Amino acid sequence: MLRRYFIATARIIAIPTLLGLLVGLSGCSNNPYPSGSTATSTLYRAIIDDPKTLDPSVSYVVSEAQIVDLIYPSYFRYHYLKRDPFVLELNFGAEQPRRELYLYDSRENGRMVKRHGESWTFRIKRGLRFQDDPCFARGKGREITAADFIYSFRRMADPAVPCPVLSYFEGKIVGLHEYAEYNRDRAKRGLPADYKRVVEGLQLDPRDPYVFRVLLSQPYPQFRYLMAMHFTTPIPHEALARYGVNFARHPVGSGLYTLDEYWPKLKIVLKKNPNRNREVYPSDGMPGDRKAGLLRDAGKQLPFSDKVVFRVLKEGLTAWNLFMQGYLDWGATQEDFSSTSVSQVMTRQGMLSKGMLERGVGLRRAPSPGVWYFTFNMRDPVVGGYTSERKKLRQAISLALNAQSFIDLYLQGNGTPAQFVIPPGVPGFDPDYSNPYRQYDVSNAKKLLAEAGYPNGINRKTGERLTIYYDNYATGAGGRQVVGQLAKQFDAIGVHLESRSWRYAVYKDKIDNREFQFALQGWVADYPDPENFALLLYGPNSNNKGPNDSTYDSPVYNRLFERMQTMDDGPERMEITRRMRNVAEEDCPLICFYHDDNLMLFNNWLSNVKAHPVANDSIKYYRIGGSRRAHMQQDWNRPNYWPAVVGTVLVIAGILPAAAVVRKRRNRRVRVRPGGTS
Amino acid sequence: MLRYLVRRLLYAVPILVGVSLITFLLFYATSSPEQMARRNLSAKNPSQAQISAWLVQHGYDKPLSQQFQKHMSELLLMRFGNSDATGEPIWDKLRAGVGPSAIVASMVFFGTLVVSVTLALLVAYYRGTYLDAGGVFMCVLLMSITYIVYIIGGQFVFGRLLKYLPMAGYERGFSALKFALLPMAVGVISALGSEVRFYRTVVLEEMNQDYVRTARAKGVSEQAVLFKHVLKNASIPILTKTILSLPFIMMGSILLESFFGIPGLGTMTVDAINSQDFAVVRAMVFLGSILYIFGAALTDICYALVDPRVRLE
Repeated sequence: MLRRYFIATARIIAIPTLLGLLVGLSGCSNNPYPSGSTATSTLYRAIIDDPKTLDPSVSYVVSEAQIVDLIYPSYFRYHYLKRDPFVLELNFGAEQPRRELYLYDSRENGRMVKRHGESWTFRIKRGLRFQDDPCFARGKGREITAADFIYSFRRMADPAVPCPVLSYFEGKIVGLHEYAEYNRDRAKRGLPADYKRVVEGLQLDPRDPYVFRVLLSQPYPQFRYLMAMHFTTPIPHEALARYGVNFARHPVGSGLYTLDEYWPKLKIVLKKNPNRNREVYPSDGMPGDRKAGLLRDAGKQLPFSDKVVFRVLKEGLTAWNLFMQGYLDWGATQEDFSSTSVSQVMTRQGMLSKGMLERGVGLRRAPSPGVWYFTFNMRDPVVGGYTSERKKLRQAISLALNAQSFIDLYLQGNGTPAQFVIPPGVPGFDPDYSNPYRQYDVSNAKKLLAEAGYPNGINRKTGERLTIYYDNYATGAGGRQVVGQLAKQFDAIGVHLESRSWRYAVYKDKIDNREFQFALQGWVADYPDPENFALLLYGPNSNNKGPNDSTYDSPVYNRLFERMQTMDDGPERMEITRRMRNVAEEDCPLICFYHDDNLMLFNNWLSNVKAHPVANDSIKYYRIGGSRRAHMQQDWNRPNYWPAVVGTVLVIAGILPAAAVVRKRRNRRVRVRPGGTS
Repeated sequence: MLRYLVRRLLYAVPILVGVSLITFLLFYATSSPEQMARRNLSAKNPSQAQISAWLVQHGYDKPLSQQFQKHMSELLLMRFGNSDATGEPIWDKLRAGVGPSAIVASMVFFGTLVVSVTLALLVAYYRGTYLDAGGVFMCVLLMSITYIVYIIGGQFVFGRLLKYLPMAGYERGFSALKFALLPMAVGVISALGSEVRFYRTVVLEEMNQDYVRTARAKGVSEQAVLFKHVLKNASIPILTKTILSLPFIMMGSILLESFFGIPGLGTMTVDAINSQDFAVVRAMVFLGSILYIFGAALTDICYALVDPRVRLE
C-alpha cells in the first residue's frame, strides 16, 4: 500500500522536477546571448520593430536609418560632437562641392524662357569600395565611381522605388521631374524604368570618373543637407540586378558595417566591413566635451565595435527589463521606460533618480529637431479666415492653451514650450523670442474672445456656446486623457471642445483633404534648416496634400519664404526668418505647442555617448567596455535557487497530508453485520 | 472513412470561399486602397503619382470584381504573393515564422494538456480533501487573472527575480528550448484554472459510473482505475476541447510572441493588421480557416479512433 502512495506522490513531484531539470539543462541563466559573447566588443540595442526596408532609396524611419546609415554612407556626414549649428563634414566627398550659377531654358506658359539655376560639382574620394558580395565579379566589392551616385539619383525617379523624398529632388534637379513622368508612363505600359535616358540635371564628367554634376533649377543651399542623407548614397547596380525586390533585405553598401545576419522579427546583426573607408573619431567638439571624456578617442580609427546587434523587442517593458539586467547596452527610450514607473527612473526635475545613479546608468538628452503644433483649418467658416475677429479668436485659443502643464504632465518635463515652428538647435531659433500669443493667460484670452464676438465663449449673434471640433487619433486611454486635459483648458474660457477620434488612416485622410477644424500635428526635420520648418506655412504647400495643413496663404509670408529658401545662412536670412515669424504670429494659423527632448539611457560600460538629434550613425562612435559589461551582467544576474527549493518543499509538504488522508480512507475497514453493512 | 474525408474536403471549399469573401469585403469596408497606399509609403506626404504607382504595383487599381477573382484564385492555388508592406514573398515569411511558432505553441499545447489532465486526475483522486478544496480555490483564482498579468508576472518572477530564464529572444536548434520554456510556463499556468476545472468535472463524472464501481469491486487498484479506465472514457470531451483549440493556440501566441520576442506567425499577423498589409492578412485568415477545418475533421477522426461506437460515414 505504501508503495502506491509513493508512486502517487512521485507523480505529483514529477512535473516540477521535470521542469526544474529542463531549466537546469538549459544552463539556468537569464542570459539571452550565447555564453562568452558579452565579453566581446559587440553592441546590443533594442529596436521596436523590424525595419520595413533597408533600401536606402526608400527607408524613411529613424529606427531604420540607424541601421541603413551604417551601411550606406553619403557624400557628407554630420560632425558627431559639434552643435549650434550642426556641422557637415566630408565623408565620401573629396572636397567641398563647387557651386556656380547655371543658365537654362524653361518652358513656361508655352514660351521658352531663360532661368537662373545652380550647378553643384561633386568630387568623390578615390579608392572607395563597395562591400564584398556575390553580386560583384569574384565576389569582391568594386571601386565606387561618380556613376554610382548618379545611379542612386536616377533610382529615385523609378516608379517601382517608392522614394519618399522624390518631391524634394524632383522640383529641384533640372529634368528629373520629366524623367520621373517618363518612367511613370513606361510603368503604365508595363515597362521598367529607363536608366539610360539622358537627364539634363545629372551629369558625369567624361574625363574624370570621380566627378559628377547636379544642376538645380534654382539656388538651393540646403542641397548639401540632402547630400548627407542615405538617399544619395552610392548604390551598385549589380546588387539590384541580382537581388531585385530582395535588395530591401539584402543591402550591399560601402559603410563601416555590413549586414551579417537578418532574422526578421528577431534581430539584425551588423559586422565590420573589411572594405570600409578610413574614418576617425573627431578631434574637436563643443566646450565641455573634453571634460565629459568625449574626446578620449580623438583621432582613433572607427568603428570601435566589431558587431552591432539590433534586437527586435516590440514591448517596451521587455526592452526595459533587459536593459536593467544589462543585456542591452542602451536604447532605453521614453517609450521603454514609460512602461515602468517613471519616478523609478527620473526625478520631477528631469534628472536621473537616485536608484539609476547608484546603478551607474547614464542619461543623455537632446532637443528633438521637431515641433508639435495645433493647426486651424484656415478654410473653416468658424476658425479660418483672415479678418480681425478670426485672428482674435485663434489668438484667444492660443493664449488659453498651457504647454508647460502639458509637458510636465505628459512628458515628465522633457520638452520646451514652442514659440514658433523652428525648434532649438536649428538656425533661426531665437531663445529670447517670446510669442505674445503663446503665453498662458486666461484673462487676456477671454478679452480677445469677447472682441472676436464670443464673450465668455457665447456667440454674440446666436447666443450659442462656441464649440471647437478637435480631430485626433487619440483612441487609446492615454490619448483620451490628453483630450480631457485639453477640454478643461478650453472650458476655462467658456469654449466647448468636441473631440472627434478616428483611426489613424481616417484621421490622415481628413487632414490631407482639409476636412477638419482643429487638430494636433507634428513635424520632424529632415535636415536642420529653417526652411524645412517654415515650409509648413508656405501657401503653395497646401496644394496636393502638401505639408501646409492649415492652408495658410499669406502673400507676404510666401514672398519672404521664397527669398529665404534660396539664401545661404547669414544675418540677412535670419532677419527674413524673423519677419516671417512676425507675420505668422499675428495671423496665428498654428498654435506652436512644444518641442520635445530625446532622452537616452545607457549602461555605464558604454562610452563616447552624445545624443545627435539629426545624424543616425552615432553607433560607430560608441565604445564598449566588454569585460566590465560581462562582470556587471554576472553580478546582476546570479540565479536565486532558494525560492525554488522552498517552493518544492512546500508543495511536497502540502500534498503528503492529503495522501495520508486518502490512505486512511482507503484502509477503512468495512464491517459486515448480519442483515446489513456498517 | 475515405468518403467522409472527401465530403469534409468538399464542404471546406464553400467555407473557405465564404471566409475569403468576408475578409475581402471587411477590408474594403474598413479602409480604402488609397489609405493603405499612404500607410505603406514611407513619405510624409506621398504625392498622388506615388500613390497611383503603388496601387498599380500592388494590383489595387483594378475593378473590385477583378480584384476578388484574382484574390480567390491566388488563395485557392496557395499563391500568396508578396507582402504589401515590405514586398517580401509571403511564403518566405511563413517559412521563417512557422518554426518558432510551432515550437512555442506545441510546447504550450502539450504542456497544458499533460499538466491539466494530470492535475485534474490528482484533484479527483484526492477529492473531498483540503487539496480538492484548495484546487478549486486556486483554479478560480487563476481564471480571474488576465493573460497579460501572467506574462508580465512570469517575466518578472522567472527572468528578473529568480533569474532562471531569459526574458526574451530565440535561437535555432536546442537553444530554442531555453527561450521557449518561459512562454510555455506562462501559457500553461494561465490555462490551468479553466482546464483543470473542466477536466476534473469530466473525470468525476466518469468516476461515478457503474464500470468504475465494478472495477473497484473487482479489486483493481485506484491508479489503474484512474489511468486505464476513467482517462480512456473521459477522452472524448478531452479531445473535443483540445483539438478544437488548435487554431486558438495560434491566436493565443500573439501576446506571448510579442512579449517574449519570438519571431513567429502571431507577431506577423498583428503587424500585418496594424500596417494594413492586406496581402498578409488574407493569407493568414485563409490559413487559419484551413487549420480550423482541419482541426474539426481531426476531432471527428479521433472520436472514431478512441470510441468504437462512433463510425464516420
